Amino acid sequence: MIRRSLTAVMAVLAIALIAAGSSVVVSGQLLAYQSGYVFFTTGDGFHVASDIVIRDAKTGGATPIKPAPRVWARATFNSSGTVTELDLSRDPLPPQGSFDDVSRYAVAVSSPVPNPDLLRNIETPPPGAPPEVVAASQHFSGRPVLVTFIVQVPPYTPFTASVYISTDQSGWNAQAIPMDRVDALHYAITRRFNSGTIFRYLYDRGSLQSQEVGQNGLARPPRNLTVTDADVRVIRDTVFAWQDSAPGGVSAPQPQVMPTPYNPAPFPNLPTCLPPPQPGGQRGHPPPNTGCPPP
Amino acid sequence: MSRIALSAAFAALTLLFVPAAVAAAEASPSPAASTAPAPIAATPAPEATGPPPRTILYLNANRLDFFYNRFLIEGDGNVRLRTSDGFTVTGDAFSMDLKLNRFMVAGHVTLHDASGTVSGAAISDFLDFRRIYFVPVTGEPDRWTFLDGDLVHPAKGRVMPGDAFYFPSIGEHPSITGTGAVIDTKTYVRFINAHTYFLDAGIPLGSYVVNFSSNQYFAQNTLSGASVDLTWNLAGSPNALTALHLRYDPTYKTYLSVEQHFVGDHEYAIFSVNPATRDQKWWNLALYEKLGSRFQIQSFTQYYTQQDWLRLPQAAQQTTYISATYAFPHSYVQATSQLTNYNVLGPGSLNPGTVAGSLDHPSQVQITATSFQNKIPGLPIYEQIYEGYGFNHDSVGGLQYTQGSHGIPPIPVPGLQAYGSPCPDQHDAKNPPVYFCPVYTTIWNTVFGFNLFTPSLKLNNPTNPYETYYFNASYNKQYQWNSLPHWISTASENFSINRQFSRAVNTYLGYQILNVGDHYINGGYVPCEPAGTSFCPLSFTSFRGVSTLRTTSLGINFVPNPDFNFTMLVRHHVDYPIPVPNLFGQPPNNILGQPLYTSYLGQAPYDATGDVRLKILPHALLDVSRTFYWYGNPYRDQFWQPSFVIQVLPI
Repeated sequence: MIRRSLTAVMAVLAIALIAAGSSVVVSGQLLAYQSGYVFFTTGDGFHVASDIVIRDAKTGGATPIKPAPRVWARATFNSSGTVTELDLSRDPLPPQGSFDDVSRYAVAVSSPVPNPDLLRNIETPPPGAPPEVVAASQHFSGRPVLVTFIVQVPPYTPFTASVYISTDQSGWNAQAIPMDRVDALHYAITRRFNSGTIFRYLYDRGSLQSQEVGQNGLARPPRNLTVTDADVRVIRDTVFAWQDSAPGGVSAPQPQVMPTPYNPAPFPNLPTCLPPPQPGGQRGHPPPNTGCPPP
Repeated sequence: MSRIALSAAFAALTLLFVPAAVAAAEASPSPAASTAPAPIAATPAPEATGPPPRTILYLNANRLDFFYNRFLIEGDGNVRLRTSDGFTVTGDAFSMDLKLNRFMVAGHVTLHDASGTVSGAAISDFLDFRRIYFVPVTGEPDRWTFLDGDLVHPAKGRVMPGDAFYFPSIGEHPSITGTGAVIDTKTYVRFINAHTYFLDAGIPLGSYVVNFSSNQYFAQNTLSGASVDLTWNLAGSPNALTALHLRYDPTYKTYLSVEQHFVGDHEYAIFSVNPATRDQKWWNLALYEKLGSRFQIQSFTQYYTQQDWLRLPQAAQQTTYISATYAFPHSYVQATSQLTNYNVLGPGSLNPGTVAGSLDHPSQVQITATSFQNKIPGLPIYEQIYEGYGFNHDSVGGLQYTQGSHGIPPIPVPGLQAYGSPCPDQHDAKNPPVYFCPVYTTIWNTVFGFNLFTPSLKLNNPTNPYETYYFNASYNKQYQWNSLPHWISTASENFSINRQFSRAVNTYLGYQILNVGDHYINGGYVPCEPAGTSFCPLSFTSFRGVSTLRTTSLGINFVPNPDFNFTMLVRHHVDYPIPVPNLFGQPPNNILGQPLYTSYLGQAPYDATGDVRLKILPHALLDVSRTFYWYGNPYRDQFWQPSFVIQVLPI
């Protein structure tokens, strides 16, 4: 008798435990709540119980938040895969459960069919594939990556010149990324980008009139960079010429600066009291006794 | 006369402007796949099968938020979307990543096209890949994929990318809000009823355009630098952008400027007025065209006027630069021209009865052939050579010595150069001769030069890379022979040794020698008199047109993290002629207060420049720099302390 009673109790406990264990809780962001279904941003839609309980995820009490897109929710599934409770929050909830555990409850009329678009990307990209192809085929974690740019500039670059990187990420702002001179021929800068970032960039000296040009003197297409997963990336580039200071050329325009009159002498800031160059044996008019303007 | 000249100038500008604008407007957009500067989806997406078609989205919602730093548009409430692909979507929420070129509508979605209307929970359009992922609710949910724009025959049950319906995580305030937007994929967005925010206060903008095209020509501008520039993009299209700028700089203070861009795949035309609200106005026009793969031509014209709004100018100047380049396999030829008119209005235009200032209108043409940089076999040295021919002309002052009249001296500009014997008429000058003949109004020149340089050479090979020293050197020599008995030679030698002490600290020590020789075959520079005075120091009295500037530089860069930079550059100049305070003219400054050129006679023997850059906002950088100059003995008390140069730079 006692044995039978113990067996019955054990059986009831086991049933209760199994029933309790069949309740699954998963947190995620809502995509939609309509037509008796709740959809998460995985794209999965689940049946909603007619007597679903909706609570505030933080307080556990009533909430003014309505189930809607962008709202975060902690969903409780019963053993039949129906959502019986939604705890809502406008802020992200800590990860709980996994949608893999409830994907079998997702409702879909059609049976899953493999997607050849996705399968194709599993293939290893061919060696030497262009960056775009590699980028479309690689997985990126989005982690921050330190990227160091080191550029060799033309040897006639003025020593005090400022060199910048302009990118399409900053709307080609000519002073978006200022660089630091590291020696007579090189500038460098380190920036942090998320892996997976793809951008185009060019070097310049502070304005788009002083942008780099190709070795053939023509405006060059922007460089491409794909930030791959790594702790540190080092990019080494060479600028062959600047648009505004090609060898042997004349100075290119700078906005808002009228050129000085043609001056045959290379010293534009000679003291005004010095007469212009004169032929031998001739003397220009001597400066007045007061000489140059007094300091 | 002046009005005619002004009209002619405007007509010329218009003639230059219109064809380029038409060409730009006719150019077709070319959105390139996979060039988006944004994180790629964590889940693989289908491969692009060619350039995606251009799509225009017409979007309305109760509220649209735009996040500039991530190029995201988020919308909520009564979302209504119409696409140029031929369907409309309504829903509760909208999300679009402009760089990834994909959008999503979620919540009570209806998809309507010519074949009918379907309800669903969410729809996501990967525009680059021509895939639309849809979660319909036809009694029960399902998963449909529309392939290549075919909305009639969905692929049912296809597995979708894992992030097809993800909302981005955003924890910041929007840059722009609005209630409507026109989105031209991969090119621009025009927000309707737009507001921006300053200290949480809304500033109505009406229409605001964000151009995010990967075409760098949109960024070409003709505005000068400014300490602060707030840009209001009033209107835009795939090939045009109109912007109003609120700017501040130390010279013109606060003012407005206007700029118009027309952009094509291989050309652009940009026009601006800056400042538009000051009497001193600079009218700028930049044109560029690339023809084929080997030839390009560009021009830049500035027209300066001093005028009250758009009234008749009191002064007007114009300068035009034209540059044409033809590329060869291992060299290129470049022709550059500079045409300047210092007084467009003509004599007497400034004030009645006056001579009207400079009447110069010099012209210059230079054709230069330049080789590529080539490595010298067996040596770690690269070389580059160039040679050019030039023509310079200015007819003003050609008959200078015959001009003038009793009591009124001739105009002060003797053509390009007066060099020869004394002119017969010295105009009663008390210390003749003053005027020399002939006056050269045309000077031809030949230029030859070469560069030699060596990239970084390792000086040691320690186990710790932070103990490595690198050596760099470069040498440039250039000769310019002019058609009058005059030639100019310049030589520049640069040496530097650098070492990176840690990831954050880099230093370099540099030494530069710059020789400039202004040689006259007969005669040349006459001595300054009286010699040995404070106004004519001995070194300057012995100066005959050959200068030597030696500069030792020590640079330190401290970059502890990508958001903060500190650089210090200390230089010591040992020059001939020896600098004397206030004897030589200082180089003119740009409108930010920075000198236009950095090597000149009379540099203070010591200078130190500190520059701090730090990130002050997610997309703004503050750059503060200051240079301190000082002399040694006997002018130790002479200091120059230019003001701080402060710039807020968008990043």
